Amino acid sequence: MISVSDIKVTFGKGTPLQKQALNGVSLTIEEGQFVTVIGSNGAGKSTLLGVLAGDVIATEGKVTIGTTDVTRQGTAARAGRVARVFQDPLTGSCGALSIEENLALAARRGERRGLASALGPQRRALFRDRIAELNLGLENRMRDRMDLLSGGQRQAVSLVMATLAGSDVLLLDEHTAALDPGMAEFIMTLTQKIVSERKLTTLMVTHSMRQALDYGHRTVMLHGGEIVLDVAGDSRKTLQVEDLIAMFRKMRGQTLDDDALLIG
Amino acid sequence: MSLIAFWGAVELGLVYAFVAIGVYLAFRVLDFPDLTVDGSFPLGAAVAAVLIIAGVNPWLAAAVAMVAGALAGLVTAVLNVRFRILNLLASILTMIALFSVNLRVMGKPNVALINADTMISPFFGHGLRDFYVRPLFVGVLVVIAVIVVWRFLESDAGLSMRATGANARMARAQGVNTNKQIYLGIALSNALVALGGALFAQTNGFADVTSGVGTIVVGLAAVIIGETLFGARGILIALIGCVVGSILYRIAIQLALSSDILGLQASDLNFVTALLVTVALVLPRLRRGGAA
Repeated sequence: MISVSDIKVTFGKGTPLQKQALNGVSLTIEEGQFVTVIGSNGAGKSTLLGVLAGDVIATEGKVTIGTTDVTRQGTAARAGRVARVFQDPLTGSCGALSIEENLALAARRGERRGLASALGPQRRALFRDRIAELNLGLENRMRDRMDLLSGGQRQAVSLVMATLAGSDVLLLDEHTAALDPGMAEFIMTLTQKIVSERKLTTLMVTHSMRQALDYGHRTVMLHGGEIVLDVAGDSRKTLQVEDLIAMFRKMRGQTLDDDALLIG
Repeated sequence: MSLIAFWGAVELGLVYAFVAIGVYLAFRVLDFPDLTVDGSFPLGAAVAAVLIIAGVNPWLAAAVAMVAGALAGLVTAVLNVRFRILNLLASILTMIALFSVNLRVMGKPNVALINADTMISPFFGHGLRDFYVRPLFVGVLVVIAVIVVWRFLESDAGLSMRATGANARMARAQGVNTNKQIYLGIALSNALVALGGALFAQTNGFADVTSGVGTIVVGLAAVIIGETLFGARGILIALIGCVVGSILYRIAIQLALSSDILGLQASDLNFVTALLVTVALVLPRLRRGGAA
């Protein structure tokens, strides 16, 4: 279970550029729940993800992952609890290292790293098997540098990397946004498979309302640093993208001017 | 070029191979342009020379020199990581400070080691001529260093250091304390450079406070020559490239200075060095441009 309670994040406090990115967000995600998060640019999606990952330390409020208070922990300190796939395929993996070295790095996420060889025969075989499951033919390119792969291939490998070591939560940060539609669908299908097979507690930030409703158990909408919609169960099943837009308009009492929300 | 001059160049190349490996760690693995080496090389020479003259076992003296080098590197890393000084500037500050430190260590600009017992002394006089013994001895140490650094960089711990240099954000998301990796890597780099300095003092019979000038350029030249010759094909090849590059660099310098046609003299060394590094930097670019 992960929970954030009454999180406030202020950037540039006390300067003319002060910005309240999150304004009292509370959210509890049960174990094994798959939550999708949607919102327009500047709504606070990325900040919320950053607060969970440790990139952003909350100005006020409390963050709990499992039973541990991680509010003040940096990214590296809580990495053992948090698996993550980034929006930019270049951020989530090391281009200068080989595929198998990237996997070796991820397999020890959050653990002590010793002087033993990173790639023994056993680990090599394990990594090969896991990559072969992708059916992308990458299992024959394990020693290739990561930067020889396409963006979609890198995201697929990143998903495998995220599941090599245990975690309390999987964070997906618009991880299909940089891909072409075909590859985006492949990655989403793969995501669905991995999350349901491993019963991962997951938070997925997305720009697409379609994705937000089609995947996961629960959808949360952010606007202006606050949660404005939180649906799950039967009421979510009947929900259409159009309904979401209508609800959004009603709730905020304003016209929707963000085209990005309407696409997809 | 005479036989003695040739083996002298090989020997010097092997001594500077430690510098090349250190520079490779900082510049290539950690992506940290570290000029501390201009100070930590003579620091290693000074510490080793002073301790050997004081009667300390030369192996122990070399070990202490390495610790001194590591501490110098640590200062640079702390200035950069803890106090957010630009990495290049942080290393220049340490380098400048080390000039004074080295003078303090030696008490004078120059210490002679003639007739003192060095790490190499026990190997002289066993039938092999001295100018073979020295490169052979240093060569064995270089091979050990290459193997140790290679195994380290392919270990779990080494992988997190490589990730720190290649993609720090990703490294942190994998639980790597990137600050610690920079401390460790720059310390290790300068320990190797100081060991090079300690061996320089013992093979040449002196330590001099000015012997550090241009160390970084020489190290970088070796790394770049190695990369140009061997390409990017893994850690071990890259490390071997550093060693080969360092030796070839010395032979090239020796050839340039000893050819009568060019009319160069010893004082032209720095110019030739700069020219050689520039050529090594420009050549791969020209080749790539021609292919495109």
